[in-house]
Amino acid sequence: MNEQAIKDLLYKLADDQLILGHRNSEWTGFGPILEEDIAFSSMAQDKIGHSLAFYTLLQELGEAEPDTVAFTRNANQFHNSQLVELPNGEYDFSLIRHFLYDNAEIIRFEMLSQSSYEPIAKVATKLKGEVKYHVLHANTWIKNLGTSTEEAILRLQSSLNEALPYALGMFEKSKFEQELIDAGVYAGEEAVKAEWLKRITAVIEKTDLKLPDLESIKPKFGGRYGEHTEHLQPLLDEMAEVFKIDPTAEW
Amino acid sequence: MSLKSLDPRVTRLNLPEGEVPAMEPKPELDQFETYEAFHQKKEGAAYTYVGPVHAPNEDVAFLFAKEQYSRRFACTGIWIARTENIQLTLYGNDSENVYDMMRVEEPAERSEQPEPYEIFHLKKRGKAHVHAGRVMATSYLEALQEAKQQFGEKGPVVNVWVVRSKDVLQSAEEDKDMWTTIPEKKYREAIAYKVMDKITKYKEENKPTTAQ
Amino acid sequence: MYGGGNVFEATKFDDLQTEDPAKLAEFEARIARGEKIEPTDWMPELYRKQLIRMIEQHAHSEIIGALPEGTWITRAPGFRRKMAQMAKVQDEVGHAQLLYSAAETLGKSREQMLTDLINGKSKYSNVFNYPAFTWADSNIISWLIDAGAIVNQMANAKGSYGPYSRALERICAEEAFHLKYGHDAVVHMATGTPKQREMIQAALNRWWPPIMTFFGPSDKMSTHTETLVRWKVKMATNDECRQQFLDMYVPKIWELGLTVPDPNLKKNMETGQWEYTEPDWDEFKRVINGDGPCNAERLAVRRTAEERGAWVRRALLNPKAKYVKPLA
Repeated sequence: MNEQAIKDLLYKLADDQLILGHRNSEWTGFGPILEEDIAFSSMAQDKIGHSLAFYTLLQELGEAEPDTVAFTRNANQFHNSQLVELPNGEYDFSLIRHFLYDNAEIIRFEMLSQSSYEPIAKVATKLKGEVKYHVLHANTWIKNLGTSTEEAILRLQSSLNEALPYALGMFEKSKFEQELIDAGVYAGEEAVKAEWLKRITAVIEKTDLKLPDLESIKPKFGGRYGEHTEHLQPLLDEMAEVFKIDPTAEW
Repeated sequence: MSLKSLDPRVTRLNLPEGEVPAMEPKPELDQFETYEAFHQKKEGAAYTYVGPVHAPNEDVAFLFAKEQYSRRFACTGIWIARTENIQLTLYGNDSENVYDMMRVEEPAERSEQPEPYEIFHLKKRGKAHVHAGRVMATSYLEALQEAKQQFGEKGPVVNVWVVRSKDVLQSAEEDKDMWTTIPEKKYREAIAYKVMDKITKYKEENKPTTAQ
Repeated sequence: MYGGGNVFEATKFDDLQTEDPAKLAEFEARIARGEKIEPTDWMPELYRKQLIRMIEQHAHSEIIGALPEGTWITRAPGFRRKMAQMAKVQDEVGHAQLLYSAAETLGKSREQMLTDLINGKSKYSNVFNYPAFTWADSNIISWLIDAGAIVNQMANAKGSYGPYSRALERICAEEAFHLKYGHDAVVHMATGTPKQREMIQAALNRWWPPIMTFFGPSDKMSTHTETLVRWKVKMATNDECRQQFLDMYVPKIWELGLTVPDPNLKKNMETGQWEYTEPDWDEFKRVINGDGPCNAERLAVRRTAEERGAWVRRALLNPKAKYVKPLA
C-alpha cells in the first residue's frame, strides 16, 4: 500500500471533521431550542472525536502527535474542504452544511468500513453508528423545515444555493485517487459523489426545496491541497490561542 | 455594550448596542409541546422513564431525547410518547398499591377491537416509572383493569401510566449502533480524570509544603 | 451550577391561613414520613411558588452558566480539553432543560420562564455576571463553582419535590465529571510551567470573592424559613453550604501551593468553623440587581440566541398542538 496515498486520505478525513466539529461547537449555548443545542453539541463532539481517531492513525504512520498536528499547522497545511471552514451564519446555513456534509460522510464511513486498509476499516466500522445519528438528525430537520413556512423554505433554499459549490468541493480528487481505488481502500470521490447525490435528492424531493442543476455549478476545489478561504486562518488562530501560549506545556 | 466580549463567538453575534426594549412575551407553544422519554439501559431491561423533551413532533422528540437522555452511560433503545397521550392514576402513598384504591369507571370511549397498551409503574415516590408490560384492551380504563390483573399483585405501586402502544415511538433494532460507542466516550466521565500522581509529585518536589 | 444565593425572599404568598387545614396536615405528614411530593398531589400555594422560584432560578443559572465557560469553548488547548470543555458546557444547557421541565410540572411554562429571564424579571446565580478573562478562569469555574454547586445540589436532591429530586440526581451524576475535569485542569496549570501557574493563581484571585458569595448571605431565620425547612424545600442554610465547601476544597487548593486571596481565611479548630473576611454583600446586591461586569452581555446573548432561533420555532409550531405539563 502506498503510504503517501493513505496519509493523504487520512488528512482530508481528519481535517474535515476537526474544522466542522469546531464550527459546530460555536453553537453551544446559542441554539434555537434547548434540546437542539444539546444535540448539536453532541455531534460537534463526535466530529472532533472522529478527527482524533484519524489523526491517531496518522501518528501510527509516523506523523506528529494529534495535538501538534491539529493545533500548530497553518491554513495552507490543512486538507479540509472549504465547505467546513465557512462561518456558521444563521442556523439555516449550519443545518444545510450539516445535511450536505453528513450525507457524504456516512457514505465514506460505509465504504471505509469495508476498506482493504484495515486500520481505517476498524475505525470507520466503530464510528459509523455515530454518523448514522448525524444523518438522521440532518435529514429529519431538512424534511421538517423544508416543508414548513415560506420563511424557513426561503432560508434553506438560499443556504442550499450558497453551500452547493462548496459541497461539491468535498469531492475534489486526491493525487492518489486511482491508487486508492485500485488498492481497494475505498471506491473514490466520483463514487461517493454519485451516491451522495442520490441520497440528498431523495430527501430534498420530500420537501419544497429545489436542488439546482449541479452541472451548472462550478465546484470550489482547492481545499484538499491547502487552498482555503479567508476564514480558515482566523479559525485556526482562535483554536490555538491558548495552546500556543506554550505548545510544550501540558494543559 | 459596556464590555467588549471576551468570547469571540459573542463578538461574532454582533449584539445590538444600547438599550433595547423588553422582549415581547413568547407566544404559546413557542417551545413546542412535550413528549416523555424512556430508555433501556441494556438488552432485555425494562424501559425506564428518563424525562420530558419539548419538540414539534415525535421524530424530532426522538432526536432530542437521544442526546439529552442517552449521551452518557449504556443505552440500547429509547421510547417516546406524547405527554398528552399518557393517562395516569392518582398517586398513592409509598408502600400502597394504587390498584387497590382504584374506582373503575365505565370508559367513555372504546375501540372496536382490542389493541395493545403499555403500562408503566412507579414503585416509590421520587423514583422513575418503569415499564411493567403490555396489555390488550379497548380503552385506557380497560387497560388499567387488565394491568391490575396481570401486574397488580407485585408489591407497592404508587402510580400507573397507561399509553396506547401505537402512540409510542420505539427506536428500531437496526438503530442500536447509534449507542454502541457511548461507553467509550470517556472524556465526559469523571473516571477519566486522575490527577493524584501529579499532586503527589508536586508535593514531593515542593517540600516542606507551603503551610498556611 | 447553582449555589442558592438570594432565593428565599419572603413573598406575598406567605399566608397559610387560607389553606385547607386537613389537606395541609396530610401534606406535611407525607413529608415528615420522608415521602416525596409528586406533581398532581395537593400542595400549599406557598410551597408551589417557592419551588417554582427556586427551580426556575436554578435553571436560569445553568443556561447563563454555560456562557462564562463557553467563552473558551473554541480555544480549549488540545483534543482532550477541547472535547471535555464542549461536553461540560453542553451539560449546563442539558441541566437547564431538566430543571425548566421540573419547574413546568408546577405550572409555569418554559415560555414564561425564558421571557422572565430575558426581561430581567427573574434572577440567576450572581457569579455568572463575572467574566472569564483567561482559560484559567474557565478552569477555576469548572472546578470550584461546580464544587459549590454540588454541595448545594446534593442537599437539594434530598428535598421533598419528586421531579426536582429526579432532575438533581441526574445533574449531580454529571457534575461529578465537571468537578474532576475542573480539578484536573487546575492541577495541570498549578503544577505546570511558571506561566501556567501564574495564570491559575490570577484566576483564583479574581474568582475567590464571587465564590464566597456563591451560597448567598447568612440566612435570616424567620417563621418563613422554618416552614420551608419543615417542607424540605430549604435543605441547608447558606452558611452550612459555605462551611462545607470550604472544608472540602480549601485544603485541595492549598496542597497545590496556591494562595487563597483572603488573609483571614483559617479554620478555627475550637469551633470547627472556617473564619473568613466577610464578603462584600453590597457589591453582591449591586451586581445581582444588574450592575455587574457582564449582566448586560449575558442577557443580550440569551436574547439574541432566542431571537435568531425564532424562525426555526415559528416554522415548526403546530397551532393545533395541545400543551400538557410534563408528567414528572
